[in-house]
Amino acid sequence: MDSIDKLMRSPVSFLADAGPDEDIAISSRIRLARNLAGRPFPDAASDEVLHEICDKVGAAASESGALGCPGCFSFVPELMGELDREILFERRLASRDFLNRKCGTRLLVRSDESSSIMVNEEDHLRMQTLKPGFQLKAVWEAINQLDDELSNRLEYAFDEKLGYLTSCPTNVGTGMRASVMLHLPGLVLSGLIGATIQGVNKLNLAVRGISGEGSDNRGNLFQISNQSTLGQSEMQIIDRLESVIVQIIEHEKLSRRKLLERDKYGFFDWVGRSYGILRYSYKLTGEEALNALSGLRTGVDLHMFTKVNVRMVNELFRSIAPAHLQKQAGRELSPVERDITRATLCREKLAGR
Amino acid sequence: MLCDICKKNEATIHIKEIHDGKVKSTNLCASCAAEKEKNGGLDALGFNLGEMLLNLGSLAAGKTEAAAIEPDSGKTVPVPAAVLPPCPVCGWTVEKIGQSGGRLGCPACYKAFTPLINEVLTRVQRGLVHIGKRPRNAAGGDVAVLTFEVGEAKRELQEHISREEYELAAVCRDRIRQLQARLDESRQGGGENGQH
Repeated sequence: MDSIDKLMRSPVSFLADAGPDEDIAISSRIRLARNLAGRPFPDAASDEVLHEICDKVGAAASESGALGCPGCFSFVPELMGELDREILFERRLASRDFLNRKCGTRLLVRSDESSSIMVNEEDHLRMQTLKPGFQLKAVWEAINQLDDELSNRLEYAFDEKLGYLTSCPTNVGTGMRASVMLHLPGLVLSGLIGATIQGVNKLNLAVRGISGEGSDNRGNLFQISNQSTLGQSEMQIIDRLESVIVQIIEHEKLSRRKLLERDKYGFFDWVGRSYGILRYSYKLTGEEALNALSGLRTGVDLHMFTKVNVRMVNELFRSIAPAHLQKQAGRELSPVERDITRATLCREKLAGR
Repeated sequence: MLCDICKKNEATIHIKEIHDGKVKSTNLCASCAAEKEKNGGLDALGFNLGEMLLNLGSLAAGKTEAAAIEPDSGKTVPVPAAVLPPCPVCGWTVEKIGQSGGRLGCPACYKAFTPLINEVLTRVQRGLVHIGKRPRNAAGGDVAVLTFEVGEAKRELQEHISREEYELAAVCRDRIRQLQARLDESRQGGGENGQH
């Protein structure tokens, strides 16, 4: 098993690289659900079967060189400490459901974290690929290849009519969930976000906040994804999702322009105060920091800063999360200590230290 | 028949429930049905799905009767008012599926609980037949994969033409020719299916 520290030290592709429309689209992600033929799904499988599946998937990845294996990271979450497990969640490599499982789980991660496989989450395989900005087609190409590499060595549960069989019928068919994380301060500040979410929901697409909850709008971050997985091909699902996201991006740009026209100083003031909070606070809650980072990111998009760039903001979004703060401090921190550490981190980063 | 909710679109989803001898029928269009599902909270879909399956399970147990839509013909067919036996492969029951939030026990559950699965799919999915990617080692192997890829490429070609992207269309046309040649080869090759 690899160490979390090694993972945290290696560069992360989606934070470090530039992506299309990165001023509004933070990242594009696709996940595929797959199961092995003739085996019970994880919820019904014995410990023995779960371990057998881990070994099979691990061997298939090594033999095919998928995820850059054997040079990839391999974790056994049930053997890890709680803080280390939480790091995997904050880095969007593992779900809570996966981390709460007691036995027979394995996480394989490409060294730049662009692709990963959860073995024995709700399904035997949950693979994901993540790229910076708005580029679902490129993400699809990458994950399609990963899936091909594995399917040459693993026999998937597949039905002529229903497609890839998944533990939950809500994922059957393509087994695909494609999503884009969008930063939408313009729509939130102009009060249009509710209508936007309703409109998107009507198209049978889901909108979730940064934590995966529908009601969470911290940091003005929203994740848009497809709901239905059966009856349309992967490309049709992606095309449809893309066309909706193109429109949301347009509306966000328009809202920002209108806010600047109507109340330029109000808008600048929000950005400036956000900078002030991050640069001069001594205690920062997670929510406060996320909202201020949203202002900072907007200022970067408007070219208001010379020393702050998108990558720095992306990096901060990640490093202010509770487990990352504690890992950095090398010990468990109380909530108050976390707020102090978070503020220190932001002050130092913005001071260029 | 028009949708009961919006009264505008043609209703394509018909739900009939019989409680204590009284028939309650609901006719919805796809978008209103999706909306209705959403009002239950799509974030909690797994949970709702579990409950729904439990309800359907009690329907199947003969406490009430229900009608489901047959995916192939689109006709409404009655769900047999008998207890669905447990899955012969993993032994899971309808009740167990309900308790696990709508998750099934194994791939064979899809066959064992077909009437319930169809009902669920009609409510939460946009279609009832998979038209996407196929694994390379599935029955039919290369022929099926290539047939799918040719279909997708043809669709892409039409899109490029409609957007007047002729250079991209030409690239796409060449790819279709290559795929078609490989497909013809695979068909002649017979049983070869790319299995390892």
